[in-house]
Amino acid sequence: MTAPIDTEALVIGAGPVGLFQVFQLGLQGIHCHVVDALPHVGGQCAELYAGKPIYDIPGIPFCTGRELVERLQQQIAPFKPTLHLGQQVDSIERLPDQRLKVSTGSGCTFHTNTLFIAAGVGAFVPRRMLLDGLSAFEGSQVFAEHPAPERWASQHLVVAGEGDAALQTCLSAIEGPQAAASVTLLHRRDQFSAAPDLIAQMRQACAEGRMRFVAGQPTGLRTANGHLQALELLNPQGDTEWLSLDVLQTCLGLSPKLGPVAQWGLAMERKQLVVNTENFGTSETGIFAVGDINTYPGKKKLILCGFHEATLAAFGAVALLRPAEKTLLQYTTTSTLLHQRLGIA
Amino acid sequence: MTHVVSESCIQCKYTDCVDVCPVDCFREGPNFLTIDPDECIDCAVCIPECPVNAIYAEEDLPADQQHMTKLNAELALLPGWKSITKRKAPMAEADAWKDKTGKLSQLIR
Repeated sequence: MTAPIDTEALVIGAGPVGLFQVFQLGLQGIHCHVVDALPHVGGQCAELYAGKPIYDIPGIPFCTGRELVERLQQQIAPFKPTLHLGQQVDSIERLPDQRLKVSTGSGCTFHTNTLFIAAGVGAFVPRRMLLDGLSAFEGSQVFAEHPAPERWASQHLVVAGEGDAALQTCLSAIEGPQAAASVTLLHRRDQFSAAPDLIAQMRQACAEGRMRFVAGQPTGLRTANGHLQALELLNPQGDTEWLSLDVLQTCLGLSPKLGPVAQWGLAMERKQLVVNTENFGTSETGIFAVGDINTYPGKKKLILCGFHEATLAAFGAVALLRPAEKTLLQYTTTSTLLHQRLGIA
Repeated sequence: MTHVVSESCIQCKYTDCVDVCPVDCFREGPNFLTIDPDECIDCAVCIPECPVNAIYAEEDLPADQQHMTKLNAELALLPGWKSITKRKAPMAEADAWKDKTGKLSQLIR
């Protein structure tokens, strides 16, 4: 456990609204830290809409989800937010000094004056293989999180999946100092959604005997002395077969899960955070909720509405953080102060 | 408010929707998926996933699909309709059925 990070503002969620929250806080002269479960920024725009068109961002007649995220990153760059990616917030509690203690599953702790929940529809987490008894081996022999070679060095590795991540994992596990003893790709059928060149490389490696592909649907498992030994498979011919393994890495894609938000003690309605529309504060002072995670009369789940919410939430935060100062409305066109903050003065 | 699966899903069950649902609110019947209105949070993430555009926000349902709101709620309560959280292969005849309308009589409870 490392020392807590002291900050004026923490943003949970690096989707479009979380990123724009960083921008609006920056204009107010507030530096912030950002936590996101994904290893990269962008949230739904990166995971679900990366290549899909968006037509309703003001002033941008057309862009893809990926392009919107790139533009937002460019826009927030002057404010240098500290990103904590690949981490999921577990708990939030009030400290005696009224600040908030926010802890992530990877042992990172923040002491923050204000908190902005821009968590969308929840954290994107790896999909698990559903099989009775398998979860008992999670973290020891079964892994769903980002593939890491030290897990399978000199071990018999099975990789389940059919996308880029699964094939890439197989191809990197067959070579290098941490190569697996054997590599088996497992998927229901001999058909893959990965990039064509990865599929070609995988087939080549199979042809050369450096790895193999097994088609089958996992139906059960065999264990001995608390060890996972093999998966029972139903193959496409309808026969049962066994696949021995030391380590199972699943690469079954990501899925959003609302997760622990409900346990943070905030007022909720239909699993969404109730906010006021003056500054998008929740039922707890200093905690704001913006974007898809909040609800209020007339709420519409649109990115552009989230941008508005983030703007007013930043004004709400500055009123809390600097109560003695008068919060002035300044224009980026003319304000020398804002130009300084944007680094263009 | 909730989101609703319309008749287009009958005999198809492409199941792309269940992969993205953040609250696991889809229930699976023999030849149809339904949304449990008590679980759905109206996030709309499932709408663009469906290859046959079967899912609508309740207030956006076409006039000829209004009855599906009540039917989704009813089906979600049936004991045989279990939660489905992971995509699987569509029904064998899905491609032949996907553009057909008036499929309600085919629904198996």
